[in-house]
Amino acid sequence: MTTEATAEATTEAPAAPREYSWRMPANWWTRNRHYFLYTVREFTALPLALWLLWLLVEIRRAGDGPARYAPHSSTAFVVFSVVVLAFALYHSYTFLTLAGTILHFKVLDRPVPARLIVLSQFAAWAAASVVVAFVLIWFAHE
Amino acid sequence: MSEAVKPQRLALMHLFWWFMFAQGGVIAALLIPVHVLVQGILGPLGIVPVVDRHYDTWVSVLGNPLVKLYLLVLIAFPFFHFAHRLRYLLVDFGVPAAKSVPAQVVFYGGAVVVTLVTVYILLTTVPI
Amino acid sequence: MPDKTITVRATRFDPERDREPRMQSYEVPFTDESMVVLDALNHVKSHIDGSLSYRWSCRMGICGSCGMMVNGTPKLTCNAFLRDYWPRPVVVQPLNNFPIIRDLVIDMDDFMHKLKSIKPWIIRKQELPLGAGEHRQSNEQIDDFRQFSECINCMLCYAACPVYGLNNEFLGPAATALARRYNLDSRDQGLKERLPVLGEAEGIWECSFVGECSVVCPKGVDPAKAIQQTKLDTTMRFVLPYGNRE
Repeated sequence: MTTEATAEATTEAPAAPREYSWRMPANWWTRNRHYFLYTVREFTALPLALWLLWLLVEIRRAGDGPARYAPHSSTAFVVFSVVVLAFALYHSYTFLTLAGTILHFKVLDRPVPARLIVLSQFAAWAAASVVVAFVLIWFAHE
Repeated sequence: MSEAVKPQRLALMHLFWWFMFAQGGVIAALLIPVHVLVQGILGPLGIVPVVDRHYDTWVSVLGNPLVKLYLLVLIAFPFFHFAHRLRYLLVDFGVPAAKSVPAQVVFYGGAVVVTLVTVYILLTTVPI
Repeated sequence: MPDKTITVRATRFDPERDREPRMQSYEVPFTDESMVVLDALNHVKSHIDGSLSYRWSCRMGICGSCGMMVNGTPKLTCNAFLRDYWPRPVVVQPLNNFPIIRDLVIDMDDFMHKLKSIKPWIIRKQELPLGAGEHRQSNEQIDDFRQFSECINCMLCYAACPVYGLNNEFLGPAATALARRYNLDSRDQGLKERLPVLGEAEGIWECSFVGECSVVCPKGVDPAKAIQQTKLDTTMRFVLPYGNRE
């Protein structure tokens, strides 16, 4: 009768504790190339944020007056910018590519192919870059 | 097994922050690389003349209201993108506390603070 | 005696005896180039160790039962050829991110609840009487959702998803893909019933678009796309004027 009692107890109690539960290894993002590249993609936020804060400081310094204004030109700053540029390009590439899988609309009742959407995104990126570069350089001549 | 669970409803705050994340991501993707290249590398190396290399040109550009609006978009929007990504990156690295409401206040609040500081700096530096 | 063999290392876990899973190696004759990992497991069970537990059914990539981690990647074992691993050993483990019941068998209750929660069937506000005829659909209307309807519920995408691995409250890839399959169906009117499940805090917003779910899917479904598009569409309902109308 003891066995019967136990059998009943086991049917009552959920079998859950007998399972071996999953624990995510802390280094999961190093275990697969895709996971690692994903982590790099998300990490781009940090260097880009730092660089924009630098730009904010550069704008603020214009309020210091002509005598005290000196633009950054140290080697360290250029190296920093080169590193940031690598992350910025990676962000642009991944973000604009992935946008092609997200954006979806129809023209004349036919869905626009994702490749065309991605292409137009990259075209917009190129156009914006040319306009911004032109303004930044053209207005440098007094 | 419990069939009925927690009440489910559309999380409007999540929707809003995702929207801001997506907007900021687009702005960052389209505009940041060229600024880093021109103002961070080509300018300091003296390869091309750039507006912020000289006080006079920098001030005359910063005085333009359109430029101020553009700089606000360029700087403020991406910070909502950064805040979102870095918060989720912390979750990925095994910090579930980054999902809590206080963490959301810190990260998205941080982006709001950056926005306000940017507005203040743009309005007080070389006023229109 | 066959001249060619392959080493299969499989996870063993006996809930009555083991505190945690261990690995056990078996030498399996590799007699035929068309042999798959599932064939090797069946050989072990029939000829070497009858206590090895695993799920399988159709052996032809349609039932979705035999998903396991093969050398660290979620795969249907009936579709993972030994020739791609030989002469190195092939390591077979239960799907990541799920509790293990025994050996290679995982507990899929959580996925089953999630699947049910998004109501993967056609919902009509009012059923038409049979006499009213069929719901007609054009090829273009079918193309809208066809891809998402290929899901066989094999859970490889859940095993590939680090977001689910970190937090099993997350609704996850397959459930969202199937919700989208019905939301995009011109015959369906159940969007408003699914939206609260999809759009709640542990729903689509949890996804950070790692994208590995779509990489491992054996049926070419793109759950990552389903999730991001659902985010966009849900957001647009609030951003666009009259977007929230039905």
